[in-house]
Order: sequence, then structure tokens, then C-alpha cells
Amino acid sequence: MKQLLWKLLRKHISPAQLIGFSIANLVGLTIVILAVQFYRDVKPVFSDEESFIRKDYLVITRSVSTAGAMVGDTGEFGDADIANIEAQPWCRKVGRFMNSEFSIFATIGLGNSGRAMRSQFFFEAIPTDFIDVTDAEWNFNPNQPEVPVIVSRDYLSLYNFGFAATQGLPRISEGQVGMIPLSFTLSGNGLNETMPGRIVGFSNRLNTVIVPEAFMKWANTRYGDGGTGHPLRLIVEVNSPGDVKIEQYMADHHYEVAGDKAQAGKANYFLTVIVSIVIAVGVVISLLSFFVLMLSIYLLLQKNTQRLRDLLLLGYSPAQVSRPYVLMVIAINAVVLILAVVLMLVGRSYYLPMLEAFDLPRVSVVVAVLTGVVIMTLITLGNVIAIRRKVASLWLLNA
Amino acid sequence: MQQINIHDALPTVFAGRERVPSQVWQCDLTMERGKRYLIVADSGTGKSSLCSYIYGYRRDFSGSIAFDGQDISSLSIGQWCEIRKTSLAYLPQEMRLFPELTAMENIQLKNQLTHYKSEKEIIDLFGTLGIPEKVDTPVSRLSIGQQQRVAIIRTLCQPADFYLLDEPVSHLDTANNAIVGNLFAQEADKQGAAVIVTSVGNHLALDYDVELQL
Repeated sequence: MKQLLWKLLRKHISPAQLIGFSIANLVGLTIVILAVQFYRDVKPVFSDEESFIRKDYLVITRSVSTAGAMVGDTGEFGDADIANIEAQPWCRKVGRFMNSEFSIFATIGLGNSGRAMRSQFFFEAIPTDFIDVTDAEWNFNPNQPEVPVIVSRDYLSLYNFGFAATQGLPRISEGQVGMIPLSFTLSGNGLNETMPGRIVGFSNRLNTVIVPEAFMKWANTRYGDGGTGHPLRLIVEVNSPGDVKIEQYMADHHYEVAGDKAQAGKANYFLTVIVSIVIAVGVVISLLSFFVLMLSIYLLLQKNTQRLRDLLLLGYSPAQVSRPYVLMVIAINAVVLILAVVLMLVGRSYYLPMLEAFDLPRVSVVVAVLTGVVIMTLITLGNVIAIRRKVASLWLLNA
Repeated sequence: MQQINIHDALPTVFAGRERVPSQVWQCDLTMERGKRYLIVADSGTGKSSLCSYIYGYRRDFSGSIAFDGQDISSLSIGQWCEIRKTSLAYLPQEMRLFPELTAMENIQLKNQLTHYKSEKEIIDLFGTLGIPEKVDTPVSRLSIGQQQRVAIIRTLCQPADFYLLDEPVSHLDTANNAIVGNLFAQEADKQGAAVIVTSVGNHLALDYDVELQL
């Protein structure tokens, strides 16, 4: 029965129209899902989110004027200042930066060359509950001293793009960083001790070297005078970093918010705008192709009106008569969807190598594929409903 | 289905005319299963319209038509499809064959819905009607008389309570007319079905119980 129906109803099907639709829809759909995938792949470059530091926080410093410096304003935050910030409604929690009060030299081995880079260094610590690293990675045991550090990502860039490039040394990705031999020599109070270090992560927003608070307390006591000074910097967890009231408060108190959040925010914003435009273009192309298919189907049904009517008179139901066309549309759309996903993967394989230097996390293609599936399902549903309605409209002869 | 009742029906195009002299239009007519009806009509008196109203694909009439008391305007599409497969067999005057399909394919298109006749029975019917060599010929290459016979075989390929035949033998000679009359008589007897035949002159050869002037 299916073969006979198809033999009858395939008449007037225009391969040219269907191919035209398929290509147009393929282009539109590929643009959409490639844009979605690209956005998801690139987003982390501009994102402030760091897996090991909670996101809704600000680092603030006091701006010290030249005049202020001359009268002895050190730019420290006093207890009253901190209490005042803590009392603000937008403030969840305030953490103090603790500085190292002893001398530090860091030694970094450079591969198998036997060479080493040695530099004077500094540490800062913030309370552990601002840091989202597992306890196992972020602890310090004086009996087996090893210093975990979080380093500004700028330092890695500095090394990779500045130092390594000019010295002919290999570039290091974030993944490889744990393999670099790193040690710290700490001295003070007549002691001079060397212990291994380990980089547990990079931060875009903490432009410093962070060590566990426990280590800092231990080291300040051992090599310094215990570290009781007032902090120069505060880390503040807030309800919403974009809040205007925060900005106002900072301005009123001559505090400065550190970090490249604003810059990253702008880049992120433009990325979103550009990707949205590209997606919109893809959607428009897909929509137009949808109408091309609709027109083609309407034309086809129009040309086959008499055949369809005669089949209904024989006792075929509108659903049975529609089925060949419905199956045809589903088949075409499924092929277009599969091709679009393949093209997206091919396109992605071209741009992914360009992003390697950023050492971004691997993003799955599930969201992009699902986007394609949803769009195609909607288009197919639209087609199927149109076919059903058109066939149903043939039920009565409007004599 | 036991009976078809036509009550005060009149095609919309006839509205406003003086009372139409007819034994069908604007009358109360009940046709029953098992009987044979001949509806004799002049051209333009709405013969094919009557068939299309009963078969449910036109509604441009006033009055009502009911199957076993149920107004047909209340039937769902699903119910109509079922009726067209099991209760009401219709042979349209214009036959409505698909010219690009062969004679057999045209018939199978119906028989595959109803599974009423075997392929052998269908081939035998081709023989009975004198066109055994036309089984696999595309309908577009058949003469009008041959096409009419193919359409007749197709009409026979379903169970029915009522056979509704719109000028079934308009293109057939007397001998073939008799054969066709015989086929429908046999089929109707077998199922206890009614046969309703319209005609403008060349009547299907059958013993009619009722003859009506449209």
C-alpha cells in the first residue's frame, strides 16, 4: 500500500526545490549551531569564573594620594573601615589579605637543561573559605612542608609569551604546570629553609601569589614577627558585583576595586552581541528556508489535489494520505540536521587549534547539537502541521 | 448500516425555485438494506450531487440525510473513513481512476484498505468483464468503456451495506451491462446489501424494487 501511495503521490515532487530548501536550511542551521558551539568554546576566555575561587567577590584597596602618603597614610584598612564594610547590606563577607613578613626566593627549574630561574618572591594569603580548592590540595603540614600556590595567570603569560619565546624554551600550558619543579627558600629570624612548592591554579583576578592562610600564619611566626599588621587589601564577597550602590560606596570612601573584571565584562558583552547577531542571521536563513519548503509543499499538494481527494474518497484517512509527505519532510530534515552537525564539527576542528594557547576547558557539543535538534524539530513540526491541515482541507469539496 | 434516510433535502443551487417535481428532493425518502433502487434522472437534476451528499464529500444542500437515524453531518472524519471502507461502496460517474497506475494497481489501492478480495478473484473479475489482458495496462491507455469496468471491479472490492452507483454502465454495451448487473446482484445478495443506481437512460440491468424520479 505504501509503495502504491508513494508511486501516486510522488508525482510533481520537485527535487530542485527540495535541494534548494535543504541547502538553505543546512546553511542556516550550521551557522546557528556553530555559533552556539563557538560561543561555548570561547566563553571561558572572557569569563571571570574561576573554578577555585568563588565568583561574587571584589578585591579592594585604598587609593593613597600623594599628600596622604606624605603624612604617613599607609593605605591600610583599619578595624573600623572593615567593620563599616561588613555592615553594608550588599556585603556577605570580608576577608583580609595577609602579607608575608619574611624574605622569599623562588626557584623554578627549566626542563632538562639543568638551568633554573631564581627570583625574589612574595606571598599573600586570604581566608580559606574564599578559595574553592579541595582541602587536600590547599593545606599545609609543617612536618612535611610543601607550599601550594595560586598564581596570577599573567605570570604564566609573561613566561610563555615573553620569556619562553625569546629564550627558546618550551611553552607551558596550565595542565603541565604541576610538573614544573618549583621550590621556595624562606629566610628570617636567622633561619634559611628551602621547601618544595606546587602551583594548584591560575587566577585572572587575583594579581598576586596566594598561599594557604595556615601556611602564612605558620611562616610569619617562624620567620617574621607573627604578622599582626593591618591589611592593605580586602577581599569582599558581595551579593551582586554589578550593584551601583557598591560602586557609590567605593567612590565615597576612596576605595579602588582591583581586577580586570570590567574589561572582561566588556569583551564578554561584545562576544555575546556578535554571537547573537550570527545566530540571528542563521535563524533568519533557517526561517526563510522553512518558508521555501512550505511553499514547495503547498505547491506539491496543490498539484496533487485531485489525487489526494480521490484517495480520501476511496476511504483513506487524511493521516494516511499525508504520511508519504510527512515521512519525506522528516527524512529531509533529519539528513539536514545530521549534515549540519557534521559541518559544525568540521568547522570546530578548524578553530579549536587557534584556541589551544588559552588552554580552555573541553566543552561538550551536546548543547549545540540539542539546539539543532530543537530547531529542526520545530521546523519539522511546522511542516507536518501544514501538510496535515492542507490535506484535511481537501476533505470536503467546496462545490 | 440498515437504512439511509433523506429528509427534505435540496441542493443549495435549487433553492428559490418553484417546488421541484421529484420523488427524492424535498421528500422524506428511506432506502433500506437489501433492496434495489433505481433513481432515474434527467441531466442537471442533481443526480451526482445526490451521490456526493450521501457519500459525504459535499454539504451544499438543505434538509438532512441520516444513516440509521444519525445525521451524517455529525459524523467524524474517522467514522466516514470506516463507512467508506465497510458500509458504503461508491462508483462515481467520472470513475476517479488514477491514469498513471495500472488497472490492477488502481484496484489494489482500494483492496489493500479493505482486504476484501484475493488477487485471483480480482483477476477473475477482469475475465468476467472481458478485459483479462488489461490487468497490467496503465489506465491512461484504456478506453473509457474499459475504464468503467475497472472502476466497477474496484467498487466490488469492499464489503458494503449500500452500493451507490452513479451511472455505472453509461459506456457499456448491453451484453456487458447484463454482466455488471449480474455481478452486483450476486454481491448484494451475498451481503444482503442494497443497490442504489442512478441513470439518465442506460439503466443497469437489475430487478429493481423501487424506481424513483429525481
